[in-house]
Amino acid sequence: MLPRQDTVKIFSTFIQFDYDRFSSWATDSRLRRSMKQCLAKIPRESSENFWALYWHQIWEQQPKSLAREHLVAYLQEICFWSSTKTINGFTSTQYTVSDCFQVAIAGIDKVLKGFDRERGFNLKSYASITFGNLIRELLRQKREIDICSDWSLLRKLSQKRMTEALAGAGLDPEVVASYILGWNCLKTIYVPERASSTRKLPKPEPETWVAITNLYNQERQTSLDQPGKTATTEDLEKWMLSCVKAARAHLFPNVTSINQPKPGYESGEIVDSLVGEVDDSLLTDMIADEEAQQRSQQQSEIGQFLTATIQQLKPEEQKLLELYYSLGLKQAEIAQELNTQQYTVSRKLARSRKALLKALAKWTTETMHISLTSDILDNISSLLEEWLAGYYDSQK
Amino acid sequence: MTITNQILFNPTQLVLELDEATVDRAWQTSQVTTGNSTSRWQRYLNQLALDTILPWLQAEEDETAKAGLNEAVRADIWEVVNGTIINLNDAKIVLIPTEAEDLSELRVPQEWIDIPEWKADYYLAVQVSIDAGFVRVWGYATHQQLKNNGNFSHSDRTYSLSDDELIADINVLWVARELCPDEVTQAAVEPINDLDPDRADSLIERLGSQSQLLPRLAVPFTTWATLIKNPQWCGRLTAKRRGEATKTPVLQWFKRGIANMATEFGWRQIEMTADTLGARGINIPELTSNLVPTVGFAKQIAIANQPYELRVFPLGESGSWRFELGCLTPGCVILPGVRLRLLTEDLQSFEGNEEVATEPVPLLFIEVDLEEGESLVWQAEPTPDNYQQEVLQF
Repeated sequence: MLPRQDTVKIFSTFIQFDYDRFSSWATDSRLRRSMKQCLAKIPRESSENFWALYWHQIWEQQPKSLAREHLVAYLQEICFWSSTKTINGFTSTQYTVSDCFQVAIAGIDKVLKGFDRERGFNLKSYASITFGNLIRELLRQKREIDICSDWSLLRKLSQKRMTEALAGAGLDPEVVASYILGWNCLKTIYVPERASSTRKLPKPEPETWVAITNLYNQERQTSLDQPGKTATTEDLEKWMLSCVKAARAHLFPNVTSINQPKPGYESGEIVDSLVGEVDDSLLTDMIADEEAQQRSQQQSEIGQFLTATIQQLKPEEQKLLELYYSLGLKQAEIAQELNTQQYTVSRKLARSRKALLKALAKWTTETMHISLTSDILDNISSLLEEWLAGYYDSQK
Repeated sequence: MTITNQILFNPTQLVLELDEATVDRAWQTSQVTTGNSTSRWQRYLNQLALDTILPWLQAEEDETAKAGLNEAVRADIWEVVNGTIINLNDAKIVLIPTEAEDLSELRVPQEWIDIPEWKADYYLAVQVSIDAGFVRVWGYATHQQLKNNGNFSHSDRTYSLSDDELIADINVLWVARELCPDEVTQAAVEPINDLDPDRADSLIERLGSQSQLLPRLAVPFTTWATLIKNPQWCGRLTAKRRGEATKTPVLQWFKRGIANMATEFGWRQIEMTADTLGARGINIPELTSNLVPTVGFAKQIAIANQPYELRVFPLGESGSWRFELGCLTPGCVILPGVRLRLLTEDLQSFEGNEEVATEPVPLLFIEVDLEEGESLVWQAEPTPDNYQQEVLQF
């Protein structure tokens, strides 16, 4: 892959895959126009990081604006590298870099929401760790769901995910609501009958379908805005098979659905009004602001503090952090390396992280005079994650 | 059990191993209840979550942690509502177990949010992956977040937050409790009125039917909440759903305090003091002050048109109980031939199970040692007016 250099391109182009490999950069003309207009407003050259922070700020004020798309474009390389790195960590996988890339980039809102602009180091290193986590988690889910029978699969999805999957399959909201009710009725009636057989549930027996259908017909009167017609067992069975199909298809979103404009953009309602509207005052503020200077000062202080704190941890705790963050080893491999059990690794890692989180939280209140809340601690936790990733990465 | 999970979990999550012993135990326990299969499975998942997370909590974060409510009430709740409460010294945690693999949302039944007696501070999203052999806490939210920002779904009466609205790092919870202990975690909720006992009876009758698969959704929430928040009624409801004969929960009265239902069964609470015990000539060897029962239960009965009182109270905490048949009016006596008898639940007699008056006496009494959960049936001769056989559960 050829990384992009030009600022306009960085914020307006997307990776195209040829099967599993990088093929080219494709330009989104709206984004290019928007970016050029912004650059014209600024008298001097500014870094990509400057623009990333600018768009992040705009995104926060207008989550549905083009800013999000600019940031998706911006994070393309990071997402690509995270996907490559994560997939190489798996010994045998039938999933491609392109699959992982799609999954990760679909989770961009998580990156944008979690990033702490005030204290964070940079969006890219935060994105890198978040993408990595997302991909690992999805590969795990995918593996679990692949070994599940259709009927077991139905127990393994949250209502939110099932609703999204059905909507993604193009069903009307009313139909989705009936399917979801039917699905809940199935989950109520049809439960595993042995302690650990949750992966291989067979198809429900005819009398079970009758019970599910009866429950559906009873509940639809009160649960659905549009109670609809009385359903038959055949209906329910058909609906549940559609749920299974939608759920499996939804696990890896396909390429086209992601780079396609969101509803509203096409019609021009949202996009055209926004393209060309540069937030002058924000830009001026950002340029004039010495905050950037202050921020980098603050960041190096955080870095020094955490480096010193890590050095105070026990050698085995330090080793564990290094194995995890630097080498990206899997749990089993770390366990092998340290001659211990998988769950012990997970527990010890969490304990070291907690010690660091607490130290950093205390230090933050003392030096920055912030009073702590859970939300701020949540941000500090993300910040710590980001810093650890960057720190161990630079030590390689 | 194969641990298919070779992937390193995100270190912000808490992942605990689900060993076979825990699984077997939880499965056995969950099969004891004879409710429907959904209830059994719900109980199983909650038991697994509790049995893995509680020991971890006690060992790593807070040694004051203990399972909220007693075992019987927990089982009653699992019969109809998903979720498990854990009490810390100064905070409450509710575990919301699910089998969902996708970690997209935390979905909390309305009962845990809107019933003032049930609401907690923190709600943990718990994935129970039985075949993969682990339990994972992957995020949490406070009561305030769920109540103020949660999406309320009318169709299943839940408050939900999506994954990106949760706090993903479980460590934040412990650090927040330590560094910002005054942070507000709960939002205000409306008080829920008490239910009229007659109304409770008819609700229990209706919702106790096995054909009512989703009792929590069958009546308006406030009605349901008034019923379920009362442990005795909740117990009666679930007993009916399981097809168990209603028992008089004597031990539960001692543990939870007596409620309206006790008066329905004809029992009332009486105060016991060392004086009244002594005055009535009870002779308990080495009676120490902390062994004096403070509370007993009494029921008025009439034998051959004479008013008497049947009294039940514990002797100390060792599982000994005393049954007394005494007079109600001053100066009266129990006439010769009157007999007090105790039988096991299946109406078998046992050694020392009856006392008979051979001469006029002020009191007949029987003392028995009972295991927790054991039940007895009492009888008197001549048979009291309007006698109905009742099973007293200890």
